[in-house]
Amino acid sequence: MPQLNTSTWLLTILSMIFTLFALLQLKISKHFYLPSPKPTLTKLQKQQTPWNHTWTKIYLPLSQSQ
Amino acid sequence: MNENLFTPFTIPMMLGIPITTLIIMFPTMLFPTPSRLINNRMITIQQWLTKLTSKQLMITHNPKGRTWSLMFISLFLFITSTNLLGMLPHSFTPTAQLSMNLGMAIPLWAGTVVTGFRNKTKISLAHLLPLGTPTFLIPMLVTIETISLFIQPLALAVRLTANITAGHLLLHLIGSMTLALTNISLFTAFITFTILTLLAILEFAVALIQAYVFTLLVSLYLQDNT
Repeated sequence: MPQLNTSTWLLTILSMIFTLFALLQLKISKHFYLPSPKPTLTKLQKQQTPWNHTWTKIYLPLSQSQ
Repeated sequence: MNENLFTPFTIPMMLGIPITTLIIMFPTMLFPTPSRLINNRMITIQQWLTKLTSKQLMITHNPKGRTWSLMFISLFLFITSTNLLGMLPHSFTPTAQLSMNLGMAIPLWAGTVVTGFRNKTKISLAHLLPLGTPTFLIPMLVTIETISLFIQPLALAVRLTANITAGHLLLHLIGSMTLALTNISLFTAFITFTILTLLAILEFAVALIQAYVFTLLVSLYLQDNT
């Protein structure tokens, strides 16, 4: 039976190991399945205007009208 | 007669150099690598089928067993594609070679057993003794279970080899019988031809089923051991 001809066994096994463990797995690992979209928390906006931190009299317009 | 019947299973040589490596590597060319967000139809269909089969295969495993999912899905795709390509007339089927199937079965089975031994030594050893055996039967049962454990890789390899080889041989024999009968009686040739068609359909099914069985059994051995 030609399957029992052990002279080619090493070549067959080595080429199979290379194909199965290297080539095919590299190809299938590149399959990309999009994750389902999830809502993310937006970060709180940083205060852009530093001059509004201290409350001064000039912000009260009614107090200024004399 | 013996030589002629088994010649489709000899390693193909071209000018004295075995070209098995090219034939074994050929099915990987049929699975193109996806490179875009939305790919062409063939890649999309293959990706969809891969996702479907891997979900079906890995749903029964715990997270530790699911690390093997890339291995299982590539094993399944390799065996399926090789078997289906072997259905083409005059083609060489690598999975009909005992060497290749032994090379697939023994490392995978050994991997599952070693995983079980390293991580859960007591439980994997306890698998060797079924529950509820009478005390005086224990030595014999442990021997029997050990033997059945060591036969698993051999059974995996020989099952795949024998199924594919026998199927191809049957197709070859019944095909030549149909051809020989056309000169004798056309009606019997027609009956034989229907048998041949049914057998070809069965062979396609066998190609897929064998891949599934191989992968399923290895995953079962993994489940025992994770």
